[in-house]
Amino acid sequence: MFRNYLKIALRNLNGNRVYSAINIGGIAFSVAAFIFILQYVGFEQSVNQFHKNLPDIYRLLGEEKGEYSDYTNAPLGPTLKNNFPEVKAFCRIMEPNTAKGIVSAQTTGTAPALFRENKMIYADGSFFDVFTFPLIAGANRLGLPQNVAISAAAAKKYFNKANPVGQTLVLVNQFGERPYTVCAVYQDMPAQSDLQADLVFSLQTLANPANLNGNEGWASLDGWDSSFLQAFLLLKNGVNSQNFEQKMNAQFRKLRPQATFSLALQPLRYLHLAAALDARMPVTGRLAFVYLMGGIAMLILLIAGLNYINLSTASSLKRAKEVGVRKVVGATRSQLISQFLLESFLLNGIGFVLALGLVALLQKPFNLLMEKDLSLLKLLSNPILSLGLLFLFVGMASSGAYVSRALSAFPTIETLKGALGKSSKGILLRKTLVVFQFTISVALIIATLTLYRQLSYMQTKDLGMNMEQMLVIKGPELGVDSVRKKGIQAFQDEFARFSFVKNYSQSGTVPGNFYNYQAAGITRLNPQPGEDKKQYAVAYIDDHYFDTYGIKLASGMNFTPAISAQGSNSAKVILNESAAIKLGFADPKAAIGQKILNGAEIEVIGVVKDYHHQSLQSLIDPTLFLPANSGAYFSLRLSGEQMPQQVAILERLFKKYFVGNPFEYFFADENYNKLYRIEQQNSQLFLIAATLAIVISCLGLFGLATFSVEQKTKEIGIRKVLGASVGQIVTLLSKDFIVLVLIALVIASPIAWWVMNRWLQDFAYRIDLGWPIFAAAGVLAVCIALFTVSFLALRAALSNPIKALRQE
Amino acid sequence: MIQLQKIAKWYVNGGNKSYILRDIHLKILQGEFVSIMGPSGSGKSTLLNIIGMLDEPSEGLYFFDEQPVHQLKERQRNELFKKSIGVVFQAYNLIDELTVAENIETPLLYQQVKTSERKALVADMLDRFQIVGKKDLFPNQLSGGQQQLVGIARALIAKPTLLLADEPTGNLNSKQGEEIMKLFKQLNEDGVTIIQVTHSEKNAEYGSRVIELLDGQIVG
Repeated sequence: MFRNYLKIALRNLNGNRVYSAINIGGIAFSVAAFIFILQYVGFEQSVNQFHKNLPDIYRLLGEEKGEYSDYTNAPLGPTLKNNFPEVKAFCRIMEPNTAKGIVSAQTTGTAPALFRENKMIYADGSFFDVFTFPLIAGANRLGLPQNVAISAAAAKKYFNKANPVGQTLVLVNQFGERPYTVCAVYQDMPAQSDLQADLVFSLQTLANPANLNGNEGWASLDGWDSSFLQAFLLLKNGVNSQNFEQKMNAQFRKLRPQATFSLALQPLRYLHLAAALDARMPVTGRLAFVYLMGGIAMLILLIAGLNYINLSTASSLKRAKEVGVRKVVGATRSQLISQFLLESFLLNGIGFVLALGLVALLQKPFNLLMEKDLSLLKLLSNPILSLGLLFLFVGMASSGAYVSRALSAFPTIETLKGALGKSSKGILLRKTLVVFQFTISVALIIATLTLYRQLSYMQTKDLGMNMEQMLVIKGPELGVDSVRKKGIQAFQDEFARFSFVKNYSQSGTVPGNFYNYQAAGITRLNPQPGEDKKQYAVAYIDDHYFDTYGIKLASGMNFTPAISAQGSNSAKVILNESAAIKLGFADPKAAIGQKILNGAEIEVIGVVKDYHHQSLQSLIDPTLFLPANSGAYFSLRLSGEQMPQQVAILERLFKKYFVGNPFEYFFADENYNKLYRIEQQNSQLFLIAATLAIVISCLGLFGLATFSVEQKTKEIGIRKVLGASVGQIVTLLSKDFIVLVLIALVIASPIAWWVMNRWLQDFAYRIDLGWPIFAAAGVLAVCIALFTVSFLALRAALSNPIKALRQE
Repeated sequence: MIQLQKIAKWYVNGGNKSYILRDIHLKILQGEFVSIMGPSGSGKSTLLNIIGMLDEPSEGLYFFDEQPVHQLKERQRNELFKKSIGVVFQAYNLIDELTVAENIETPLLYQQVKTSERKALVADMLDRFQIVGKKDLFPNQLSGGQQQLVGIARALIAKPTLLLADEPTGNLNSKQGEEIMKLFKQLNEDGVTIIQVTHSEKNAEYGSRVIELLDGQIVG
């Protein structure tokens, strides 16, 4: 019996090749998409979950008026540990952004290996006890000053095959130049870790004020006035974090009555993905995006399931006779159901295997897109796999069950007489399915169009400055200060003479990067109460900066070379328009010649037009431009011919003046576009999802059209005999489907409008969600639908009417 | 063998009952060869379908081998049908995706017959109808007469006591039709009860009794 079923199933698949290919293809693509999304969601959920102490590790947050900050006062960790037996250990971490610098290995005999490191932190001695990063060599001496633990990868990078333990690494960063002894080597941190460091320096080093290089104002380990470290607490097993939070806060208020914030504990478990969508504690992942991807996965699977039902029952007229015959020779309903279930499993099974093939084929591009190292193998060890498979199989089984029941339910006599298919029930169900599928497709098309339009808006909007062919070279950081300063001037003087350098400037920040800093307490001379709370961005620039970037002066004058050279001693400042308004001046002109307070009195000599230093996601920050020949970045506008050669010339020059410094450069526009990396990623993902949805929906539409054309064979025949043209027949057949797509458009538009409008709220500068997007989505959907249907309609319209009529 | 009492079949059409069969009393004995005749729309096929348990009467009693079919559950009816009745159609109704041998084998699949036994029975049947050479062909590779032979072989493989045939020669030329009728005659002589619906007087002559239907009622 089983063999008979299998035989007929295979012959059926083979006999209707187009139909089988469409059906299996639909299953394969949607299952592949589902697996990819499962990989991604599974990865996101596994981040940070590998620490052995996971349930007991908390990040200490400061909370003020519902706003959380992950930076806390440095002495808090030791204070809590000394006062509460519940605290087993604390570990403070200085993030890479603050810690980063240039590291060189002092191996004897060879030139030092030298790298700019962004993946490096400072941490307390408890680091390897609190977190699970296994040591593979040496011993943890991070509790002592001037020790460093490095990853296996870093060990190879700096020392190649030599034993790294006991060797010396020299770190140059904002805390000066200092040697560290390698005390231990740890396994490379897994990708599922939010903490990513190749080098862990001992935070204790900074306990010595001599090691702070003049930064003791904010970076002192016993200073209560600044917050520059993150702190993690390891609580004793079984301590209730909520009770402890209360107890801790009560004590904290007594200890620091002047503090304006209270303390909160964030479980490490929820550091990457928040516990809930509305959670406000700072996180590193995007729960909403994970939910969105999960939702899209479900939708795609749903569309595919409906599609399978649709296509399978669409060919039912053909199968009806078989069902009738089998019943007449004695098959029971349940025997028929099991036969069709077997067919369903066969079809789904082939689809599933093909999906695995597709995943293997497309894994690389997908990883590139997601910037993750995902694989089927990794999914195998993830608990989400069983959930996903369960969902997949329940979906396949229920769609199979539905089809089997539907096919086996045909009344025997009607099927054998060929009188089946006059009922409108099947048609209505199919139409509903198609409308549903197209609703999802149209919504995804609208979302994709909106994403792309916003992205292109951001990338093409006039930013108020010009980054074309702007090469940015990172300034030197190593070497004796006085020598370096002279070098900077000489370097600039020399490259300024090159004919291919059209403009140049040096500055503390460049567009697309963050400002030098943001600060409050900048006011007019007689500030109103509360004015000192306003935040301003501060950027150090020289007298060429505005010219080089094409930023226009609104009023007043630019810095002169003399002012740049004097730096802060000149007591001069230039504002942007937003800053002038925020400071309380009536207009840019009114600010000129006025003095403002920024620690000392400084004079406003000019106001520049607002330009977008940061992404269009945020409003233009009120910005103060302070004069300096900072040498942190050199911006050079090149002539645009033979750029590689020009860069090589600049590199030689750089190496000449700044021996031992790495030559690093980027193009300003590329750097700026990195601000939209997430938006670019999102729009690509949506493009893929929307394409998939529309393709699968079209398969469903194809199924419906097949069914409908089959039903209307007689009508078409009669109409043709009565003289209808091919065009009229095609119109007759296509009209109904276009109506369905239009209904889908009507349902999808308000939903998509609402969702995308909310998404756009994240952007300070955004497109209008006007009717053209909806019209475009509608036209696109209708065209695709027409294309799908017209093939069948045309074939039906061209068929010989006599044949159709005789058949009836 | 078959006893129908006051059998009626109607459809409700716009509030009115429209009768297809009305007040049918009929008794058919083991070994009979009955022909049901009558003009189009007189209810011949419906009557045959009710006897074949493919359709249910709107009212009335139906006894098959003393068992009250009208009271049986679907499962029991299916069991009774499987072991007692074979059906032959005007349009043959073979499964297009199965070969001749597989089509003939199908009823056995639903009766828990072992594979070896199935093979033997199918071989017997092919032999008996002299279609051994055609066993691996598909229905669309056969002539109408050959297809109907396969249809009859399929109807007979489970050794039914009753063979129902709805215009079995309707799609065949006269020579093929005659051969089929001779075969029926032979089967009847071997002990199979046969009920056929036919338009043809000539075919009816092969039978032992004729039932005339007109407007859903037996008139002779």
